[in-house]
Amino acid sequence: MARMKFLCDAERCIECNGCVTACKQEHEIPWGVNRRRVVTVNDGVPGERSISVACMHCSDAPCMAVCPVDCFYKTEEGVVLHDKDLCIGCGYCFYACPFGAPQFPQTGAFGVRGKMDKCTFCAGGPEANSSEEEFRKYGRNRLAEGKLPACAEMCATKALLGGDGDVLADIYRQRVTVRGRGGDVWGWATAYGQPGQAPGQAPGQAPAKGGKS
Amino acid sequence: MRRMFTRAGAALLASAWLAAAAQSPAVDATNAEMAKQQQAQQLSQPLNNQPVWSEVRSGAKQYTSIKGRETDVLIQPEGQTWRAARVPLATIGGFLFVATLLALLGFYLWRGPIRLRGKPTGRMIERFTLVERVVHWTVAITFVTLGVTGLVLTFGKSVLLPLIGYTLFSWLAIIAKNLHNFVGPVLVVVLPIMIVLFMRANLFNARDWEWLKKGGGMLTGEHVPANKANAGQKILFWSMVVVLGLTLCVTGLILDFPNFDQTRQTMQIANVVHLIAGVLAVVMVSAHIYLGTVGMPGAYEAMRDGYVDETWAKEHHEYWYNEVKAGAIPAAGHEAPMSHRPA
Repeated sequence: MARMKFLCDAERCIECNGCVTACKQEHEIPWGVNRRRVVTVNDGVPGERSISVACMHCSDAPCMAVCPVDCFYKTEEGVVLHDKDLCIGCGYCFYACPFGAPQFPQTGAFGVRGKMDKCTFCAGGPEANSSEEEFRKYGRNRLAEGKLPACAEMCATKALLGGDGDVLADIYRQRVTVRGRGGDVWGWATAYGQPGQAPGQAPGQAPAKGGKS
Repeated sequence: MRRMFTRAGAALLASAWLAAAAQSPAVDATNAEMAKQQQAQQLSQPLNNQPVWSEVRSGAKQYTSIKGRETDVLIQPEGQTWRAARVPLATIGGFLFVATLLALLGFYLWRGPIRLRGKPTGRMIERFTLVERVVHWTVAITFVTLGVTGLVLTFGKSVLLPLIGYTLFSWLAIIAKNLHNFVGPVLVVVLPIMIVLFMRANLFNARDWEWLKKGGGMLTGEHVPANKANAGQKILFWSMVVVLGLTLCVTGLILDFPNFDQTRQTMQIANVVHLIAGVLAVVMVSAHIYLGTVGMPGAYEAMRDGYVDETWAKEHHEYWYNEVKAGAIPAAGHEAPMSHRPA
């Protein structure tokens, strides 16, 4: 059985937010809820990196550990899902999650939390696959249709990959091998050249005058 | 010549980095410094991304076009700390609560109710005014509601869920959560009133030390004179009502109103403090409820009707009884209405 994973290649992500849009469109997510977002490290500085992040479907999921009603469950494919009928909207998963994945549509006054919403790896919820009710609560169940998550499918640079962890590992290993000369040398400079360096120029060579900065 | 060009190129690059760092909307002075270090490292170790991941792991704010609370934090490390603190603390708290209940049961079996030695005189003394009783019972009802719902939310997953199943427990938890969140602000309003109202009777004085040294005669059965409130009650007042109560109110408000954009870390700290204070308060209230009901006949009637028998007053709060008898406390000593007299 496949173990589903997301992988975002920071050397390829160009912060287009296509994954965010794809996710919103696919699941008809309400305003104010973002199951996925793109964060840029060192924005505006040469060497910035962007990463698309959503629920990472952890093996030892903190949300599962702290949920007071035990509404989370893990599918055979390693996808962490939750039952909105059981969720009480306490916000503990939101405190515990390192990635800021759990979202709360603010339904009441004073920020009263509604049912938690998060990335489902396009795997729906406990309702019958592809049912009306499942779509209303969790969005499309693409996995049941034999498709991979919409965000990863949409990614133009194929920075964001979603699927069986073994397959993703093979793809990423191949990328790293092509980029550099071993696992320790992957990086922006290998893929796109150093700052001020024409692409394809060997790294370590002197940067040209007035080059990219 | 070539060397000169190299140097000029390097200088240009350096100035460009500085300019970029200065212009960047997402970087302040510290971040700009980090970025500069990163740039230097990109020259010396061209293929090393390690600083980027260190920065991400530190929980520092980054940039994102998705607007919202802390959406610019890629990884918040505090969540793991919160989980690591909360889970064992809740376990310890649960066992502490059970141990308290068992200890009270043990005390009851060993000592039984603390009954009067003398015969009731039938003459009643006013112990609590109507206002005091109304405030006490408002606090009592809200506190017990909060305590029970808090226990359901904290320990229900381990205790109730296996017994009643997911659907039923979820319903119970939804009711508990809403009761907890809506009754909480009531306590925030009435608790300060109670503190002000009962503060004077709970100020410590020299007599309390005597009472404390003898443990109030709770274990020995010895008669120890006390003021209107004995030292045990005073300690309970200052620790449970004032310190724990106010702590619960403040942390509770932080957790109850997440609409002020408080960060997750603020709420995590508030949650852990709320958990500790809540368990301690519930434990102390259990002891208070025990002594105010089955543990000591007459105590519950004192708070329900406001009157106690003279014998009860003499045996439990002798100094206060003497003061009342001497007319030193004018508020007390009203003629008891007929309905409050024992048959």
